[in-house]
Amino acid sequence: MNEPNENALAVRLAEIPGAALLEAHGHGLWMTAPHIDVQHMARTMVSLGCRLSTMSGTARENGETEVIYHYSLGRTSLNIRTHTHGGTLPSISALERSASWIEREIHDLYAVTFVGHPNLERLIRPPQLEEGFCREPGGAGAKEAKA
Amino acid sequence: MPYTIPIGPYHPALEEPYKLSVSCIGETVQSVRLDIGFSFRAIELLAQRRNYIQDIILVERVCGICSHVHTLTFCTAAEEIAGIRVPDRARYIRAIIAELERLHSHLLWAGIGAEDMGFQTLFMEVFAVREKVMDLLEAISGNRVHYEMNCIGGVNRDITDPEAILAGVKQMRAGIERDIVPSFMKSDTTRARIAGVGILTREQALQWGVVGPVARASGVATDVRSDHPYAAYEELGFKIVTRTEGDVRARIMVRAMEMLESIRLIEKALRELPNGSLRAFEGVPTIPVGESTARSEAPRGEIFYYLCSDGSDTPTRVKIRTPSFVNLPALEAMSVGQQLADMPLIQASIDPCMSCTDR
Repeated sequence: MNEPNENALAVRLAEIPGAALLEAHGHGLWMTAPHIDVQHMARTMVSLGCRLSTMSGTARENGETEVIYHYSLGRTSLNIRTHTHGGTLPSISALERSASWIEREIHDLYAVTFVGHPNLERLIRPPQLEEGFCREPGGAGAKEAKA
Repeated sequence: MPYTIPIGPYHPALEEPYKLSVSCIGETVQSVRLDIGFSFRAIELLAQRRNYIQDIILVERVCGICSHVHTLTFCTAAEEIAGIRVPDRARYIRAIIAELERLHSHLLWAGIGAEDMGFQTLFMEVFAVREKVMDLLEAISGNRVHYEMNCIGGVNRDITDPEAILAGVKQMRAGIERDIVPSFMKSDTTRARIAGVGILTREQALQWGVVGPVARASGVATDVRSDHPYAAYEELGFKIVTRTEGDVRARIMVRAMEMLESIRLIEKALRELPNGSLRAFEGVPTIPVGESTARSEAPRGEIFYYLCSDGSDTPTRVKIRTPSFVNLPALEAMSVGQQLADMPLIQASIDPCMSCTDR
């Protein structure tokens, strides 16, 4: 696989509507872009030969959900962070087959609606639990809740 | 008129619970639908309620086969946030256990694959060798399944007698080279049963984003040990194994050849095991505010962790993506046009782990 260098990658990513500055930390490149066009992003990633490793959802206190798209391209890790707007994000499953189960899982655990997903039905959630049952704080917040 | 055959969630052809709804015309598969979640334990949610030490115990229990690689990846993510450099001896020990674990997993799978083919004698041979791997893991860690070797900053136990482990590995190599690899690579019985079955082309493999032996059997040269080297793989000089046929046989051949590469890595790591400490520090780790991702090559492919810390002793988020979670959906692509009777074998060829998938 031909790996573009970080500058070339940054140029392509900067062309995505709503993109922000790419930052290097740890072993990866990170971008925080609340209003990124995720479908445009997915198309760019496919054209670059990036593989979607997964997406991480995290509940926010304001009821929205932070979603990080984790990509891999050879030795480069790319992490693009955005968040839901009114509990929704556009689905990228039509562009990335592997996103289908990932989006269904985030829908189960965090009640995010991925608009345009062809089959956003229950994947791993036990039927007796409501969607979004993982929306609780972690870290110090989890200890406070327990106390 | 198509009809639908349900297989599972509890069925003798499946090692763990999940459901395949196979739509057929005659004996030919038209489409497959998968239902998962029968082993769901909410481990990610539990992990953000527990401290880092408790989480190591927890994530080890995501899977009974690849337990070491889960703790290794979790610890690597925490070490990256905290800027902890793991001592060389610990990195080598991590790689040795990871490769023994891969042997254990591939042999377990090979045994099940042999049984699914109706090759009972091969099943017996494979499980006799697997028992030797279990003995070695027990000799090092005291445990046959959950080895509890990793801690943040290093490992909990040393390998005090590398020569004794090398002698055991030598016995295992003989069994794998003499019986297992030829049976899978050269046997006419095996070839007749599995060649050309359940093909996943390279294009499909890329499209579905599969990982591990499933990807490598379809000609996609991806392996975290070379793509994002960790533990001691940079020094050990890892050699990737690929095939281009993309069928059940190619998946078997990749795993067979990977067993020999694992043995080479274990032998090299044991011979070159550096002196030094096992841990970067003593006591309880402090993980500052930050976030990181970590990848490792589990026996079934890339395992991915995202870890976020608010500086307390409990992570704010632990995301776990296992290889079976991305490999299983590709079963839909492998199955279309195949014979219904081949479905148990095709699904087994991706070595699905439902404990990992459901978490």
